[in-house]
Amino acid sequence: MAISRRADPLDLSVALPGGEARRSIGGYLRRWLPLGIGILMAIAMVVLAAAAPLIAPLSPSAQYSDAVLKGPGAVERHLLGTDEFGRDILSRIIWGARVSLQVGLASVAWGFLLGVPLGILAGTRGGAVETAIMRCADMLMAFPTLLLALIIVTALGGTLVNEILAIGIALTPNFVRLARSLALTIREQDYIMAARALGSGQLRVMARHVFPNALYALVVVATLYIATAIRTEASLSFLGLGIPPPTPSWGNILSEGRQYIKCCPWITTFSGLAIMVAVLAFNLVGDALRDLLDPRLRGE
Amino acid sequence: MLQYVLRRLLVAVPMLVGAMSIVFFAMRILPGDPCVAMMGDQATTMALADCTKNLGLHRPLAVQYVDYLWRSAQFDFGTSLRQGYPVSEYIGRMFPHTLVLVLASSVVAALVGIPIGIVSALKRRSPLIDYPLRIIALLGLSMPVFWLGILLLIVFSLRLNIFPLIGGGDLDGVIHMLRTGEAFSSPADFLAAVGDVLHHLTLPALALGFTLAATISRLSRSAMLEVISQDYIRTARAKGQGERTVVYKHAFRNMMVPLLTIIGLFVAVALTGTVLTETVFTRPGLGKMLVDAIGARDYPLAQGAITVFTMIIIFVNLVVDMLYAVVDPRITYR
Repeated sequence: MAISRRADPLDLSVALPGGEARRSIGGYLRRWLPLGIGILMAIAMVVLAAAAPLIAPLSPSAQYSDAVLKGPGAVERHLLGTDEFGRDILSRIIWGARVSLQVGLASVAWGFLLGVPLGILAGTRGGAVETAIMRCADMLMAFPTLLLALIIVTALGGTLVNEILAIGIALTPNFVRLARSLALTIREQDYIMAARALGSGQLRVMARHVFPNALYALVVVATLYIATAIRTEASLSFLGLGIPPPTPSWGNILSEGRQYIKCCPWITTFSGLAIMVAVLAFNLVGDALRDLLDPRLRGE
Repeated sequence: MLQYVLRRLLVAVPMLVGAMSIVFFAMRILPGDPCVAMMGDQATTMALADCTKNLGLHRPLAVQYVDYLWRSAQFDFGTSLRQGYPVSEYIGRMFPHTLVLVLASSVVAALVGIPIGIVSALKRRSPLIDYPLRIIALLGLSMPVFWLGILLLIVFSLRLNIFPLIGGGDLDGVIHMLRTGEAFSSPADFLAAVGDVLHHLTLPALALGFTLAATISRLSRSAMLEVISQDYIRTARAKGQGERTVVYKHAFRNMMVPLLTIIGLFVAVALTGTVLTETVFTRPGLGKMLVDAIGARDYPLAQGAITVFTMIIIFVNLVVDMLYAVVDPRITYR
């Protein structure tokens, strides 16, 4: 006894003349604007990081003894001011983008590489393999991302590679869980049965059929995890466990500037703003992609 | 129900043991000898050997591991290398500070996040309302708590001088007054002490609460969207009930069920948040204790702190699983 469902009584209003056009433009903007803004911001960040030596007005480590702790614009060459060593904040922030982006992208790639095959294996194979993999993932899930990354970085020492390793491992259980749940749905599809009937082996089914069909959703979520990774890196650096100074990272610029918030709030303000903008960019892209691809939200 | 509880416990225990094993082995591969860290480079070989023996580090790793698990089960985490007294005592003293921070920021998060989520879901067709609210949520989600904390400190402590810059207030005093009954014999002193604690708590709770509110508002928004399209909501509207009744009486209560399931996740996020929040506001608590312990290479303290964090998270998840079974009887457990 199926009753056709109208989504919402308010839907009637869109049938009015003129409403259609308004809604379509609004809907179009609503759908694409956040994605566009997010992608633009993310691209800007990549360009900033890649071309740091060309874009940064000064060297990030050069110390100007005539301009120690100067505010934004107080000395003409230092647009965003200087820190306690007379280093240019703008240049340090531009160079800091490198660390954030490298950690963000590489750790997510690492977590993806570790987690997705395990998750797909668990979801497709089932049985004892699944139980073993999922229990391990649950165990790691007991630690919040930052805490797990913190433990690993403490154990290995704070370098760029260790940070990437640590955050990647901390993100892995998330990928395992997601890939497994996707694989569980995909393995019930007719095309999987067809592939099996045609004689495809387990590995081929996983690699050629399950993985490509899960990729879509995995990439969307991976975008959101880039935001998490950037924030985690900044948090580790802020706690003094990340990349040690003098290499600039947004977290350690902010951490160093903390001692000077009374006289010189610009150091913490601008470095924090950089972290927020970067995290926001990837959150926007991930969110918008998810809204676009999630059929339940498509009508909204 | 009992069977379900037992089964969940059976899952939780190995998970806890596994998580604790990770902590143990991570702490064992840390660079540097804890004894050297404690006594300095100048310590004699004899003194170092003594120290190693006292800490039990001369025993085989497997023995140390079993010993650690056994002692942790009894909340005995050894003695702090720096402070010189038992880790469990230290944790016991710090725990209330973290607890009040988590509670206060949860209240802020719920008061800010849930209404924003509901309004954003109900007004999803009016971009002027939904959009700004969603942007606020997204900003909250993207804003690192330590940055928001610093901005609040700059404005409210340094510029306006309304709130203190550091410290957590005399929470120990408040607890002492409650224990000894002094709270009732001299209520004025007690209220003053509570006021002081709240004064110190305001900014940290706002900072952490706002970042948590972002998560809550997004979850409430999607929970509300899910609920509002259900048949019983249409039925309620068809009966001619006002929008207010539909929202508060029918939708709100059903919306809370999915929200309940994320309490576990929420506590994990909040606890992580306390590590950063307590550091920014120089507040005593488990999170700051952990960071300080790592900085000072005080391994027993760091190990104890992480173990307690993990225990709390696994315990909360266990409780949530059970609550869920109580709240939503439709769910049957395998």
